[in-house]
Amino acid sequence: MPFIKIDEKEFEVAKGITVLQAALANGIEIPHYCFHPVLEVVGSCRMCLVQVEGMPKLQASCNTSIGEVALDKKLDGKYDMVVNTQTDAVKQERKNILEFLLLNHPLDCPVCDQAGECYLQDYTFKYGNAHSRFKEEKRVRPSESLGSNIVINQDRCILCSRCVRFTREISGTNELFVQNRGYHSKVSILKDKPLENLMAGNVADICPVGALLNTDYIHKNRFWNLDTIPSVCQDCSAGCNVDVFSQRDEIFRLTPRENHDVNGYFMCDIGRYGFHRFEEIERVNQPLVRNGKSFDVIDWAEAIQKTADLIEQSNGKTAGIVSPFHTNESNFLLGLMINGMLGMLPAIQAEEITYPSGFRISADRSPNQRGMNNICGGLAEDLSSEIKTQAIRGLYILDDGVDRELDDAWKEILAKMDFLIVQSYAMTDLAKLAHIVLPGLAPYEREGTITNDQDRIQWLRPSLSIKAESKPDWEILMLVNNALNKKAENFTGLDDVIIKMGEQFPNYSGITLFKIATQGIALNGKKM
Amino acid sequence: MATIIKSYEPTFWDKLYFPALLKGLMVTIKHFFRQKVTIQYPDERHIPPDGYRGLHRLNKYPDERIKCVACEMCAAACPSNCISIIPGPSPWDDGKERYPVRFDINLLRCIYCGFCEMACPEGAIELTEIYDFSNYSRDDLVIDKDGLLGVYELTKKQNYYTKKSHSPASLPFKTERT
Repeated sequence: MPFIKIDEKEFEVAKGITVLQAALANGIEIPHYCFHPVLEVVGSCRMCLVQVEGMPKLQASCNTSIGEVALDKKLDGKYDMVVNTQTDAVKQERKNILEFLLLNHPLDCPVCDQAGECYLQDYTFKYGNAHSRFKEEKRVRPSESLGSNIVINQDRCILCSRCVRFTREISGTNELFVQNRGYHSKVSILKDKPLENLMAGNVADICPVGALLNTDYIHKNRFWNLDTIPSVCQDCSAGCNVDVFSQRDEIFRLTPRENHDVNGYFMCDIGRYGFHRFEEIERVNQPLVRNGKSFDVIDWAEAIQKTADLIEQSNGKTAGIVSPFHTNESNFLLGLMINGMLGMLPAIQAEEITYPSGFRISADRSPNQRGMNNICGGLAEDLSSEIKTQAIRGLYILDDGVDRELDDAWKEILAKMDFLIVQSYAMTDLAKLAHIVLPGLAPYEREGTITNDQDRIQWLRPSLSIKAESKPDWEILMLVNNALNKKAENFTGLDDVIIKMGEQFPNYSGITLFKIATQGIALNGKKM
Repeated sequence: MATIIKSYEPTFWDKLYFPALLKGLMVTIKHFFRQKVTIQYPDERHIPPDGYRGLHRLNKYPDERIKCVACEMCAAACPSNCISIIPGPSPWDDGKERYPVRFDINLLRCIYCGFCEMACPEGAIELTEIYDFSNYSRDDLVIDKDGLLGVYELTKKQNYYTKKSHSPASLPFKTERT
């Protein structure tokens, strides 16, 4: 293990890693643009230059690797390498590099969507000159559209080539390249091959300046206005970790959150823009009960009582339909309440996509299929025929929401039921058939745990407030259960439900939201 | 050390009472012949000095395009959080990509510090000399983009208060009781 010193700090590092990696891992800041942990090192931005003792010139720390030297050649008798990041030469070099980068950079931070999270802004403020010596006219180049979701502002680009390497190494689609040489260089696409792949949105995230922007978010808001909630993507079973940015109860964008056990640094465009489909839906705001062809509004106490009465009258001939879109807690409580036959509607499947880097979009396009199967042991294999053989007269359904399309066969089965209780957030096809509709929460309002297809339990955190009279899904189920069974346990919060769940399913014991935190827990390895 | 304060002994003139009364009246009489300090509001209006910070306005370019680019620097600088802006891509093709779709100022929250003018990179928001914009409801005191642009039209050529006796034009937002 090489023993090195960076700015008076001494530490041992693994052999072969670079100076920049060693510094970042030990909390020493070296400004950099072109370096990204998962992309190939090019050393093109020259921002990370440091002084290495024994070397005549400043070295790019991102491609200077650390090795061991012979005993008699060690510096001060013990160091394999001594690095200074704060000498006058380094500071002057940073100023010079920033001056070059800013030559043609339009100082339009007030209208740039990257402002506030821009590395060029941060580093200029911290290391750069306060004034420009450039008196000539700045070059102005038009913005170009690279694909349906990405635009490039050529003026702002600093040619770090992160985006180019991303399409070569991570998505493997090779759309972007640097066109021309020298002063005329620019990031560009071929006319007949636009940046259209399901990972395209990531290039806007990895761009250190405001050159690449998502058309979905452009001119929508300012970064500092938004509240950030770490949560989990709900568009497939891979369960990518995301940050949800919202303001005044409206989601503005989703960005991937670093988690090396799940998604690395990236997410797909299905999840990135998926939140829009919940924006304009017909919400159910109050408990509804069927009256002929329309619905009447009733209050919660009445709705719960009516539901409990219907289930009681059916004499055990009520089945529950759990949902892979709901949290583990909701599915668990439905199992507790029905205490009989549980089933699910046909799974929502699509093509599984795997990228060269290993990034995966799961074939199963519901977030919690694995969790649902773990929690609800005896799910009926073929629910439609089971309903016939067991003469089921009523159904309590956790609705999948706007993603579920009912086929005619199921509509027929549901129409034959004596009663149909649907817990949903929107007036879906299913809710329209119901006798009682109980308003639950929409995605991004829900809280709970979900399990991805690698058996990793993750904390789904809400970023929007609860609308109108709707209640959390687990609370509705608990209230109905309490009305059915006077001895049933009264949970005061989500944590109580998780503890109870752990008692029944040993895989899930000892889990708390605090332990899950932002990175999740693997259920099979049980690493805590 | 204790000091002994002798109480005032009134003299003969003091005891007459009248000289003191006349002396006091002289102060009043002198003011009859001085320039008046008070004005007959609302028949007359006070004309504020230059640099007075009153009602806001949003400036326009000569070609009627709004100067504001919705960068929200004013909202970020505002100590009372009274400015709320919803930006959007601008409908004009003149190189400025943003414009405010909505621009609301809550005049009740505003403390008229003028930080917004100072923060504005485009010189779009300014405080005018208008000080009498009282209203009948709190809702009407949240003024929108049209109101702010209307204030610009009112004040772009001349001072809102031209003469003392002149009664100024009505404001470009709702001021009646409902």
